[in-house]
Amino acid sequence: MFSKNRKKSRSVVWGCLILGGFLLLSLLSFPPQAQARNIKVGIIDCYSGPPAVYAKDALNGFKLALKDINKKGVLGKKIVFTTRDTKFKVDIALNMAKELVMREDVDILVGTINSGASLAVSEAVAKKEKVPFIVWIAKSERITGEKGHRYVFSTGENTAMAGKAGAVALSKKPYVRYWIAGDDYEYGHAIANAAWRNLKKLKPDVEVIGKSWWKPGEPDLIPYLTSIMAAKPDAVIFCTGGRSMTNIMKAIKATNMAKKVPIWIHTATDHAVLKPLGKEAPEGVMGTMDYHFYYPDTPSNRSFVKAFKAAYGSPPGFPAFHGYITAKFIAEAFEKAGKLNKEKFIDAMEGLKIEGPTGTIEMRACDHQAVLPMFLGVTKYSPKYGVVISSNIVTLRGDQVMPSCEEIMKERRK
Amino acid sequence: MEPGHTITLAAVGSHLLVGLSRAMILFIVSSGLSFVLGVLRVPNVAHGSLYMIGAFSAYAVFTSIGGGSTGFWLALALAPLVVAAVSFVAERSLFCRLYEREHLMLLLFTFALMLILDDLVKIIWGAEYRSIMAPDYFKGSVTIFGSSFPKYNLFLLAAGPVVAVGLWLFTNKTKIGKIARAAAVDREMVGAVGINVSWIFAFAFVLGCFLAGLGGALMAPTVSITLGMDHDIIIEAFLIVTIGGLGNMWGAMVGSLIFGITQSFGVLLWPQFAIVFPYAAVVVVLLARPTGLLKSVW
Repeated sequence: MFSKNRKKSRSVVWGCLILGGFLLLSLLSFPPQAQARNIKVGIIDCYSGPPAVYAKDALNGFKLALKDINKKGVLGKKIVFTTRDTKFKVDIALNMAKELVMREDVDILVGTINSGASLAVSEAVAKKEKVPFIVWIAKSERITGEKGHRYVFSTGENTAMAGKAGAVALSKKPYVRYWIAGDDYEYGHAIANAAWRNLKKLKPDVEVIGKSWWKPGEPDLIPYLTSIMAAKPDAVIFCTGGRSMTNIMKAIKATNMAKKVPIWIHTATDHAVLKPLGKEAPEGVMGTMDYHFYYPDTPSNRSFVKAFKAAYGSPPGFPAFHGYITAKFIAEAFEKAGKLNKEKFIDAMEGLKIEGPTGTIEMRACDHQAVLPMFLGVTKYSPKYGVVISSNIVTLRGDQVMPSCEEIMKERRK
Repeated sequence: MEPGHTITLAAVGSHLLVGLSRAMILFIVSSGLSFVLGVLRVPNVAHGSLYMIGAFSAYAVFTSIGGGSTGFWLALALAPLVVAAVSFVAERSLFCRLYEREHLMLLLFTFALMLILDDLVKIIWGAEYRSIMAPDYFKGSVTIFGSSFPKYNLFLLAAGPVVAVGLWLFTNKTKIGKIARAAAVDREMVGAVGINVSWIFAFAFVLGCFLAGLGGALMAPTVSITLGMDHDIIIEAFLIVTIGGLGNMWGAMVGSLIFGITQSFGVLLWPQFAIVFPYAAVVVVLLARPTGLLKSVW
């Protein structure tokens, strides 16, 4: 890479090399010299660009859990990890995953926020090389659904669960005429499909009167909202993610839309979305999340939040929660397996129950999807936190929002 | 496909307004790009990054003042100046050595600059989503043509023409503006009559980038301020400059209006495929007039 920069400014080249060396050093976390072989976890995720916020949060949750786990050790060993930046690209994720498996000889792969990358790694690395791969942020339901197999797991909620949670909530309301709108990419359509499929099943008289799809991150959503409001639907389902979340929340606030039409957006109650908006976040928007640092207000969640805050300075987001339970699943599965063996690990993971910050979490044996409850709430300003948070929270149990094992197997046979 | 809803005159009116307010931001950013293209002949791919720095600087000023109305106006005033300062340094240290190079080199160079600036933003502000608020009197919405129209967009509607008139006055009524215009048409001639073209170029570059920063600061209260917002704008800005006529200020205005309004009407006509409309408009314009609607200075 640098060798082509010949001649001219040799000092610049040297500077770059040294800098690059330092960067590499800081990226690779060196496993402490262990007596026996440690349990090696290879983490691929996007540590550059906007998704890095979520990826870092997940990594912090993972590291926090490891601190406790490594005090005791697992099978007399420590769990060590090394990270690779996927830059949100599928091909880089694949290369990094292969490199971790081939050269670093990792026992477990963990990652990523990108659904496309997760699916690719699941298919081309985990399945092919028979290495367990735990997906912790990506929300595509295909990861443990249609494209699921023995070597892939998910410790996060997915679009099928989110959509069904929304559908369960909306089915209890009197709305009939819906408008569906969102980001024109896989996540947006997956949420829309899951929500609508389930809503139609729960309440057959609902109808879609219109749809709008915009490019992810579209800065100007006002024309879309204006035309939706003019159509006067009974309720709107917005399927947005990432930075579109802030844009849609701002546009809802600016047009006063939440006061005129009931709105459901999957991650509207996410602290990462609401916090930067401060008092500017719209109130009265329905949202679903699988984790809040302020809910459930139980001793185990409180102590997790306290430890996380002490270590990283801010409360954990949902990725941190996923990272935390991922580490616990890995540790307890190896304990249960009794030895460092990938196939035994998978057998141990199936049906494994761990104690997480929100209670007992099971790794469903049939599809390798963590059974997570969904918290349904409405955005409301909280004087205690100085920001808008989720209020009037209703908890939907994991089994209420997940597709059944039969449904999953039907999908996989397709 | 059925249309979004029955298209009434009121709906057309409100979408026209919404489209116009978007066009104003697009104009402010793309006029800067066009100015740099016209005078310096530099296709500045890093223009979007400067727009992003404008938004981030607005955030920095806004939060350090502690928000509120003062914070907003100060952010609006200072953020473009920050961007101007950054671009001045870039121009004097780097660009000014490269003007004689071919376009491909310049393109690659500005692309590199874009990557560097993006990483700088990440180092300084991190990857989190950030947000600033418009003052209270710009919050909420007013009802126009029977639908709610955010007050802030009314402000944008006013800001666009102000910038346009300011630019016109500057390029037509001031000496330095006239020289810059002349340099755009024939830079050898301007040099031949004894004017220091190098400083004219520096000035034009800084002004163009100032406009990018202004656009970013104006846009900041309506979106999430985050990495990647530069890519949203830069492609649109280049398309606008191309359909308007390279380097032509009024071309940027015409292009922005076409882009903003087709997008807004696209949503009205066919909300599922609204994304296509502005790009389809670009294709139509380029097929009909390959050099852009107005006279290109190239």
